[in-house]
Amino acid sequence: MDPSIRDGAHRDGLRQARRMSNWTAAALIAGTGVAAVALAHQASVAAPATTGNAAAGAAPAAGNTAGAGAQAGSGPRVTHSVATTTASGVTVITTTRTVNGKTIVTRVRHAPATADN
Amino acid sequence: MAAGAREVADRLARGSAGGPGGAVPWQRVTTGDDTVAVAERGALGTSARVAVWPPASLGLACAAADDVLDRLDRQASRFRPDSELSWLHAARGGMFLLSDGLAEAVGVALAAARWTGGLTDPTIGDALVSLGYDRDFAAIGEDGDLAAIGEDGDLAAIGGDGTPPGATVAAPGWQLVQLDGPLLRIPPGIRLDLGATAKGLGSDRAVRAVLSAVGGQGGVLISLGGDIAVGGTPPRDGWPVTVAEEPGQAGQLVRLTAGAVATSSVTVRRWRRGGAEVHHIVDPRTGRPADGPWRTATVAAATCADANAASTAAIVAGAAAEDWLATAGLPARLTGHDGRVRDLNGWPGPEAGAWAPVPTAADSHVYAAGPAMRPRTRPPGGGR
Repeated sequence: MDPSIRDGAHRDGLRQARRMSNWTAAALIAGTGVAAVALAHQASVAAPATTGNAAAGAAPAAGNTAGAGAQAGSGPRVTHSVATTTASGVTVITTTRTVNGKTIVTRVRHAPATADN
Repeated sequence: MAAGAREVADRLARGSAGGPGGAVPWQRVTTGDDTVAVAERGALGTSARVAVWPPASLGLACAAADDVLDRLDRQASRFRPDSELSWLHAARGGMFLLSDGLAEAVGVALAAARWTGGLTDPTIGDALVSLGYDRDFAAIGEDGDLAAIGEDGDLAAIGGDGTPPGATVAAPGWQLVQLDGPLLRIPPGIRLDLGATAKGLGSDRAVRAVLSAVGGQGGVLISLGGDIAVGGTPPRDGWPVTVAEEPGQAGQLVRLTAGAVATSSVTVRRWRRGGAEVHHIVDPRTGRPADGPWRTATVAAATCADANAASTAAIVAGAAAEDWLATAGLPARLTGHDGRVRDLNGWPGPEAGAWAPVPTAADSHVYAAGPAMRPRTRPPGGGR
């Protein structure tokens, strides 16, 4: 075979190989980018949104947050106290009744029975 | 929704719903927010409160809490003659195969005793009986020979027949009680009292039960006599909680996003015996009511059993309470007999303002690590 033809075929082969390599590299880069974006999106959804130091590191190894991770920020906004931590010897039972369309709240203070802390 | 839970939900929608076996009914509580639903009823000799979001979960939550409270009472009450614990006491020592529930309750009490170095001790039952705390407070009050401190601060005399105070009895020691899984070995003459951990355990159990019942959706707060545990997803910025020495008092407003908070105090459950005023928090080392400088201790911890035990331990530790709490790494608020307040280990002080978040420890000292929340049988790091 004519050496010039053989050199030309060789160059064409190299060019084609380089072209393939470039496309492969481009595909890899694009794939990596897409994967990174997907992972970042997934991480931002899964990570608990924390506020303040109470939430940071607050999920105990054997605590009460099993089931749904402790997340401050994704629940409703609650502006009134819902419970009181207090000595248990005297308690107040709150009764709410609706009479003739009016809400009647009764608080009965009593010394309870058994529990001792 | 199960039929029982649906019935509770329907009746709660009308204002109240009965507990199991004709127990005190749940009553809806109006807090000022309609984004959470709150209900309350008497239970375990004190009050139980359930708060949940979304509000539609309240029926399921109350039904799940009912089941937990009823089981705990039947397992661990020292005052119910038909409880498993009373049956165990009647046998006067020996080896017993406990129900899983009582085994867990005893295991948590023993783990707390190990952790606190004996500042809490489940073998304190006889010391309490010796001091006169041998029956249901309400029942004693009805009999007229013992009553809790009145609203005006007066003490009704107990032992009004002039009964001299019983000889003080130090706790025999938690080390004498051996628990291996459900197998309990207890020497004759030891009476258990699980009061330092039982309410906290009940709150922890109820939180898990409610979360399971609602499929992990939303968030829940359980309070048993003021010992509060939270779980699931808290409201934005946390559950708003009041810290007070007695219910109905104005107090500090804080937020709880995880874990638990509990309060112990010598200002309640007081009585007079043979002319001496006594209260229910007894030092296991002496068998006498704790007489340290602190009248009330509020502690935040990873779980309510931890917080319950630590608040009692702080009262018993007396002058050593601050050091013990610092070593345990637990945020706490102590109130002295003179009214002075000490905020410790990150507990928000006055400068933090209202609704400051309460930090909670990451790890439990009484439950082993893992999702099952089983009692620790060894301290962290091994050894016994």
